[in-house]
Amino acid sequence: MKLIKVIPWGIALLAMVASAATLLPQGKVRGFDLDGFAALPVLEGGRIKPLDSLARNSLLVIRSQQSFQDLGRTLGADEWLLDLLFRPEVSDAQLSFVINDPDVLGLLGLRQTSNRYFSFKGMEPFLPELERQATAAQAVEAQARTRFEQAIANLFERLVLFRRVAETKAAGASPEQWTRVGRAWASQDAPAFNAAVADLAADERTQRPETVQAAWREMLFNRAQPFYVGMIIYVLALLTLFASWMGKPALLQRTALMLLCAGALVHTAGLAARILLQGRPPVTNLYSSAIFIGWAAVLVGIVLERIYRRGFGTAVAAASGFASLIVAHHLASDGDTMEMMRAVLDSNFWLATHVVTVTIGYSGAFLAGALGLGYTAWRHLARHPDPATGKTLASMAYGVICFALFFSFVGTVLGGIWADQSWGRFWGWDPKENGALLIVLWNATILHSRWGGFVREKGLMAMAIFGNVITSLSWFGVNMLGVGLHSYGFMDSAFFALSFFIGSQIVAMLLCLAPRRLQFRHQPVAL
Amino acid sequence: MPRTKAHPGTRVLDAVASLKLTIACLVCLMVLVVACTLAQVRMGTLGAVTAYIRSAVVWWHLPGMGLRLPVFPGGLTVGVVLLINLIVAQGRRLEASWRKSGLWLVHAGLILLFVGEFISGARQVEMQLPIEEGQTVAFLESPRDLELAITDVTDPARDQVHGIPEALLSHENLIAVPGTPLSIKVSRYYQNADLSRRADADPISLATAGVGTSLAVRELPPVSRDDERDLRAVFIEPIAAGKSYGTWLVSNGLGAPQTFIDEGRTYTLSLRQRREYLPYSLTLKKFSHDIYPGTDIPKNFSSLVHLSNPARGEERDVLISMNQPLRYAGKAFYQASFGKNDTLSILQVVENPGWLLPYISCVLVAAGLVLHFALSLGRSLRRRQPALIPAGA
Repeated sequence: MKLIKVIPWGIALLAMVASAATLLPQGKVRGFDLDGFAALPVLEGGRIKPLDSLARNSLLVIRSQQSFQDLGRTLGADEWLLDLLFRPEVSDAQLSFVINDPDVLGLLGLRQTSNRYFSFKGMEPFLPELERQATAAQAVEAQARTRFEQAIANLFERLVLFRRVAETKAAGASPEQWTRVGRAWASQDAPAFNAAVADLAADERTQRPETVQAAWREMLFNRAQPFYVGMIIYVLALLTLFASWMGKPALLQRTALMLLCAGALVHTAGLAARILLQGRPPVTNLYSSAIFIGWAAVLVGIVLERIYRRGFGTAVAAASGFASLIVAHHLASDGDTMEMMRAVLDSNFWLATHVVTVTIGYSGAFLAGALGLGYTAWRHLARHPDPATGKTLASMAYGVICFALFFSFVGTVLGGIWADQSWGRFWGWDPKENGALLIVLWNATILHSRWGGFVREKGLMAMAIFGNVITSLSWFGVNMLGVGLHSYGFMDSAFFALSFFIGSQIVAMLLCLAPRRLQFRHQPVAL
Repeated sequence: MPRTKAHPGTRVLDAVASLKLTIACLVCLMVLVVACTLAQVRMGTLGAVTAYIRSAVVWWHLPGMGLRLPVFPGGLTVGVVLLINLIVAQGRRLEASWRKSGLWLVHAGLILLFVGEFISGARQVEMQLPIEEGQTVAFLESPRDLELAITDVTDPARDQVHGIPEALLSHENLIAVPGTPLSIKVSRYYQNADLSRRADADPISLATAGVGTSLAVRELPPVSRDDERDLRAVFIEPIAAGKSYGTWLVSNGLGAPQTFIDEGRTYTLSLRQRREYLPYSLTLKKFSHDIYPGTDIPKNFSSLVHLSNPARGEERDVLISMNQPLRYAGKAFYQASFGKNDTLSILQVVENPGWLLPYISCVLVAAGLVLHFALSLGRSLRRRQPALIPAGA
C-alpha cells in the first residue's frame, strides 16, 4: 500500500532532478572553455544578451536547428558561431543553410533530394543572381509574395544575417582582446583561447558586473531549455495516464498527476525565468503566448483533477501543455523570442493586464475544447461508457467555459481600453479585436444554449470543440490575414497547419455528435 | 408556465425576451464579425465596418446589374434587437434575487457597453493635427473628408474662409456661398483621379482658367485600402451676379490655392482636408523618436506641446506620448504618427462623449461574472461534497 504513495513521488522527483541536471556546466569541449565564451555579453537587437543567445537564435533562423552534425560530431551553436567569427574558411564550408523550396534549389542548379542543407561556399557562385531575385521579391509586399518570392527573400535575409553575425564583437571587448580570442580559436589553441576568454570576462566583470551577470543568467536559461524538458515530461505524464486505463489505475493515475505537476513546475520555472530575464509580463509575442496558454491550461487542468479525480483533468492538461509547447517550439524559429517591444506595445501595465487576461481566456477555450475531444474519444472508444463519466466531463467543460468567458470578456474589454488610451478609439473592428470578440460571443452562446436547455451533454461538448476552431483562428488566423494594427507576425507555412487543425476539429465535432453505435474502434480519434 | 392562456401581448413580450432570440442574435453577430474581418482585406477597415457592422442590412450587390438584395441583418439591426432582448429579458425572465445578482450586474454592464458603442458610432469624431516643430496650430483636419475652401484674402490682416463640405460638391450642381455674392457651379466630379501634365493627344481640358487648363484628368476607381487615399478632382465654375469666372480644376493633389478677383475682392480656391477651428492653440516645442540601441525598433514617440487658451487664461506645456494622451475640452489628443525627418508630429484628435462607458461596463461585467460563477461554484461544490468522498478514497 505504501508503494502507491512513494512511487509517484519518486518518479516525479526523478523527473525534477533530471531537469535540474541540464543546468550543470557542460565542461570543456575538446579542451575549450566554450561556456566562458558563450556567456560573454553582446549588444544585439537593442538588448544585451549572451553570445550563446545570438548563436542559438541565428543558427535557428538560418538552419532551423540549434546544433547539427558536422564532420562526424555534433557542432553546437557556440562552436558554430566561433567558426563563423574566426575561421571563415571552415564556417563557409559547413552546411549552415536549410533550403526547402524546390524553385530556389533550381535557381542554385540543384534538384530536390533528401539533403536539404547547404554551405555558404556552395551558394557563393550564385550570390549575384540570388541578390537580383531577392531584391525583386522584396519589392513585393510581404503578403502578396508568391511562394518562390517568399522563399528567395527569406534565403537572402538569412544570408545577410549570416554575414552580419560574422561581424559581431562582444560588448565592451577591445579590438586587441577580441583579436586575441580569434587568433587562439583560429589556431585551435585551447589554453590560449581559455586564457583570452577568461581575461576578457574578468575585464568585463570589473567594469560592468550587472551586464555580465544578466548574460550569464540568460545562458543558463538557454542551456536548461525548460520548455523542451517540460514538453517531454508532459508526454510521459500522458503516456502514464493512458497506461492507467489498461491496468493499475490507482498507482498510475497518481503517478501521471505527479508527473504533470513536475512538468508544470519546470514550465513555471521557465516562465518565471523569462519574466525575470526580460523584465516584462509573461506574454510579449506569439511565441510567449503559446507558452503561457499551455501553462494556464495545465494549472486549470490540475485544479480540475483535484476536484473531479479520475484522470480526465490530468489527461487534458498534459495534452494541452504538450500541444502548446510544440506550437511554441515551432514559433521560436523566428529568431530572438525576447525581442524588444515596439513603442505602442511598450507598456508593462497593459501587457500584464490585457494580454495576460485575454491569453488566459484562450487557454480556457482550448482546455474546454480538449475536454470535448476527450469526451468524444471516450464516448466512442470506451467499452462500457457509464453516464456518470459523461456527466462529469460535461460539467468540467461547463466550468472551464465559464472561466474562459470571464477572462476573454475582461481581456477583450481591457484591450479596448488600452486602444482608447493609445490611439483614441475603444473599438475599431480590427481583426485581432474581432477574433477576441468571437471567442467571447461563442462562449456566451454555449452558456446561453445550455441555460436554455437547447443543448445537453453531447451538444455542449461539440460546441466546446468548435471553440477550438474559433480560438485558433483568432490566435493565428488573424496574423495570416495580414491586415490591421495587430499583425505582428505573418506566417506562411503555419497556414497549412492551421487548416489541418480546423479540419480535424470539424471531423471531431461530427464524431462527437454521431451515435455511438458507429464503432470507431479501428480509427482512433485525432487528439 | 401557463402558456396556453397567455395574452397575445404577453406572448410577444415572451418572444422578445426569449433565450432563443439571444442565441440567434449572438450567432448572427458572429457571422457578421467573421464577414467583416474577411472583407477588410478587400474593402479596408472602414468600408467593411460600414457595410457589415454599422448598417441595418447587409446588401449583396448583383454583379453586372445595378441591383442589390438584402441578404443578412446588419450589425445595427442585430445590436438593437439584442439590446431590446437584453432589457426586456431583464424584466421578464430574470428574477430579482441574490442568486441572480451576478447576472443582473453582467447584463447592466453589457447594456452600458452597447449604449457606449451606439454613442461612439453616432457621435465619435476623429480628426488629425499635423504640426511641425516650432509651428502653432489652432485647427484640426479631417483625415478623410475634404472641403472646398473659398478664402477672401482681400484684407491682409484677416482671411475670411468659407468652407463647402465635399458632400455638397458631389450631389448638387449650383451651391450658393453664404456671406458672399458667389455661387459655385459643379461641372464635373471625380471621386478618384490621376492628374498629369496634358499632352497634345489628350482631349481639351474642361478647365478654362487656372492650372487645370494644362492638366489631364483620368478617372480611377476609388481605393479601398486603409493606407491609400483617393485623389479627388472637381471642375467648378464660380459665378457672381450672372458673371462666370471660368471653369477651374480643384483637387487635393494640387498644392497652391488658385486666385480670382470679383468686384475688387480677391478669393482663393482650394480643395483641402476639412478643417475644424479650435478656440485654443497648440505649439509643438519638441518631437522625440527614441529607438533601441543598435536597431531601428522604435522605443517611444512623444510630442512636447505648449497649450495656449487665452479665453481661460491657460498657458502650459504638455507631453503627449504613446499610451499617454492629452484630454482637453472634450477632446483627446494622441500621438499617432510622425514625418519629415522627425520634425513633424501627427496627433490623432478624438471627440467621443461616450468614452467613459466601456470603463464602467468592464468593471460591472467582471464583478458580475465573478459573483455569478462564485455563487454557482459554491452551490455545485456543496452538492458534490458527498459524492466526492467515495471517488477520492
